[in-house]
Amino acid sequence: MSNAESITAEDKTALEEPEKIPPRRSLFTRFIDAAAILFASKTATVGLILVAFWVLVAIFAPFLTPYTPLEQDWKAPNEGPSVSHPLGTDELGRDLWSRLIYGARVVLVILPVSENVWIPGGTAIWGVIVALAVGTALGLISGYYGGWIDEITMRLLDAMMAVPIILLYLIIMAALGASAINVVLAMTIVGTPGIARLVRSLTLDIRTREYIRAAETRGESPWYIMFVEILPNARGPIIVDAMLRVGYAIFAMGTLGFLGLGIPPPSPDWGSMVAKGREFILAGSPWASLWPSVAIASLVVGLNLLADGLREESMRYQ
Amino acid sequence: MEKKDRIHPLIPELKSMMEKGSVTRRDFIRYSALLGLSATAAYQLAGLAFPATAHAANIKRGGTMRIATGIQKVTHPAQFSWVEPTNILRQVAEYLTYTDKDNITHPYLLQKWDASDDLKTWTLTLRQGIKFNNGDEFNADDVIFSMNQWLNKDVGSSLLGMMGGYLDAGGIEKVDDHTVRLNLKKSEIAVPEHLFHYPAMVLNHRTFEGDFIKAPHGTGPYTLEVYKESERAVLKRRTDYWQKGADGDPLPYMDGMEFVDMGDEMSPRIAAIQAGEIDMIDLATTGGTSAYKALKDDKRVQVKPIGTAQARVLRMRVDLKPWDDNRVRMALKLCQHREKILGLAYFGQGLLAQDFHVAPVHPEYCNKPIPKYDPQKAKQLLKEAGYPNGLKVNLAVGSEWTDVVRYAEILKQDAAPAGFNVVLQTMPTSQYWEKWTEVDLGVTPWTHRPLGTMVLNLAYINGADGKPVPWNETNWADPEFSKLLEEANGTLNVDDRRKIFCKLEQIQWDRGSIGIAWWQNNWQVVTNRVQDSQPHPTGYMLFNKVWLSKMKS
Repeated sequence: MSNAESITAEDKTALEEPEKIPPRRSLFTRFIDAAAILFASKTATVGLILVAFWVLVAIFAPFLTPYTPLEQDWKAPNEGPSVSHPLGTDELGRDLWSRLIYGARVVLVILPVSENVWIPGGTAIWGVIVALAVGTALGLISGYYGGWIDEITMRLLDAMMAVPIILLYLIIMAALGASAINVVLAMTIVGTPGIARLVRSLTLDIRTREYIRAAETRGESPWYIMFVEILPNARGPIIVDAMLRVGYAIFAMGTLGFLGLGIPPPSPDWGSMVAKGREFILAGSPWASLWPSVAIASLVVGLNLLADGLREESMRYQ
Repeated sequence: MEKKDRIHPLIPELKSMMEKGSVTRRDFIRYSALLGLSATAAYQLAGLAFPATAHAANIKRGGTMRIATGIQKVTHPAQFSWVEPTNILRQVAEYLTYTDKDNITHPYLLQKWDASDDLKTWTLTLRQGIKFNNGDEFNADDVIFSMNQWLNKDVGSSLLGMMGGYLDAGGIEKVDDHTVRLNLKKSEIAVPEHLFHYPAMVLNHRTFEGDFIKAPHGTGPYTLEVYKESERAVLKRRTDYWQKGADGDPLPYMDGMEFVDMGDEMSPRIAAIQAGEIDMIDLATTGGTSAYKALKDDKRVQVKPIGTAQARVLRMRVDLKPWDDNRVRMALKLCQHREKILGLAYFGQGLLAQDFHVAPVHPEYCNKPIPKYDPQKAKQLLKEAGYPNGLKVNLAVGSEWTDVVRYAEILKQDAAPAGFNVVLQTMPTSQYWEKWTEVDLGVTPWTHRPLGTMVLNLAYINGADGKPVPWNETNWADPEFSKLLEEANGTLNVDDRRKIFCKLEQIQWDRGSIGIAWWQNNWQVVTNRVQDSQPHPTGYMLFNKVWLSKMKS
């Protein structure tokens, strides 16, 4: 901050002169560099492997099992692992491996809009993306403008944060009804305040920087300054936070499904698989609830490790 | 009342299944007992010796039985809306009649009842020499006082809805100290059954002031010592109870009963009974499939099944599209693969049902064949109804009823070949109860009732104002059906009533508004040291004669 006064608009333009910047590296080399950062950290590597496993089985689910997740075999309910059913069957005789990997699809790869329509990007991913969009916008606006806009926005978000998260989920889902779109909406409403807070604090810091002054002096519009000047410079912490949030989102999906408020049956939702299988644990068939529990745990742990590793490595470079 | 001496038509079939090995001996005995065959006969048919029954000589007195249940807040017995608290207090206060596990109603605090030929005048003769646990004599004033409480609008008892239609407070007449006459507004056969409805406890008119816990004076075998909500209730044996045991001394055999609240989850209760910390799990309101699954093979515990008229009813609102068309309703009914549904949704623990709300346990049940799963015919019916390309329907499902969810998932799968796209709308059960009469398609749990006429009168007729009665969730009313049902209400002879029921059942199958795939069993779960306890279809604990063996639990 000490040299804040010394930088003028002239210096800024000088910095942006093309010949002083090395030529833009290719996408490939940048990807390799990013991967190198990841693999430099053991934590991140383990996280990446766990996450990659689930993403891959989710994408290739139809090729990894001969069964559909909905196929019922009423002669073979609640069976343990066998050759024909590698992880066993659930209470309606459906193949657990098939349900597990199709369940991963719903979490990570597709968002079912209605029975036959889906859009790419999993439910948990969309939940975070939409929350990120709304939270970032709110955080930037209140952080950049300050004053009464800031006051009102933040007090409203504080009020939302005062409600326990699980209660908020229950209220929203009970009011909206159970569907994948509503799960995304609920995640947005629950996730927004936290993201807005984070972005606001970053904005408060960044808006005092010289290049923001410069942009203001150039007469840029507030929207340009917020989204082009401030946001890219705040991306590091936001990305790490988003990574953690995907983990929370998966957890939230599991919780909602467990409470019967998630994606309605017969969709292979991990949370509802645990809830339904739970009835049979004491009856001697723990498989139906064991596997989805393992799936949720491994994916959430993977995402957390990945986020931790990324943070460590990015801190080192700072 | 009817004596059960016919052999149920399914028993020979069960026996051949057992011989082929597709039913175990134990299950054969279980089922045939459910079907009305006496346990002794069932054991003989299965080729096993009947286990020796307890004789007066080996009944042991003493001991305290511990039961896991919910200890709810209670004040006025007439306001009860859950069976659990009544199971605690029915050991303290009693009822005028008693409906046994075979759905046959007997006099209890009554010596007898007499009905006039038109079923409009009922004379109740009270048993004499019964004392409340505070020493007061039981007499006609107590009965009249209790009935006035039931019929009092300010008390708000569910008995008002049940009895208010045929009885006013003014119709209760005291003949003498031990005789009460009821002058009804219209004919009613189910009066004795209604007197055993769980809020109908007889109260002491001298001491009762609206809170039973403050003045727990009943005629029952135990006195209430402690009642702490969500914690525990303790009952102690009284020495001057009116019923005598096999040894000639007054009942009960046990020194006391202790009820503990272990929360809403079933697993701690299962663990507690396995560890011998409790002697019984009360399944009256929780539903017992998980306890049944976990404990059925446990040597320390007896899981006693009982057939009931409890059902999950697939109900269709006939005033809303597309269910106003009987062909669509019939199509969905034909999409129930009943064997599969019973097997997967309820683990085979019940009897197959036929889409009319009369169960084999009802005395007036008329036997009809089980409809087959027929998606082809369903598809044809849908086509005729104007849906050649199939039909998308929303099915409302309470998500905490796991058997209902399984039923719905199976139905979705099996209705697809017929052209139905069933979309499950899950919601918390509390939310389902908010709109159970409003959704166009849903699955509603209906509880057991001992007489066939009781549910039909509650749910499938119009009221006097021409509108559906409050619990008619499908808005279905059929002039021919209503007329026959009224006739059945006024027919005391069971065989004559059954003839009318044959027609009623056929109408409900042909053009009714509901699908019922199976009748559920209930269970009584007790440890081996609990002797002579019998399961009851409504989950009532009728434990006067229960005793505990010395076996350490």
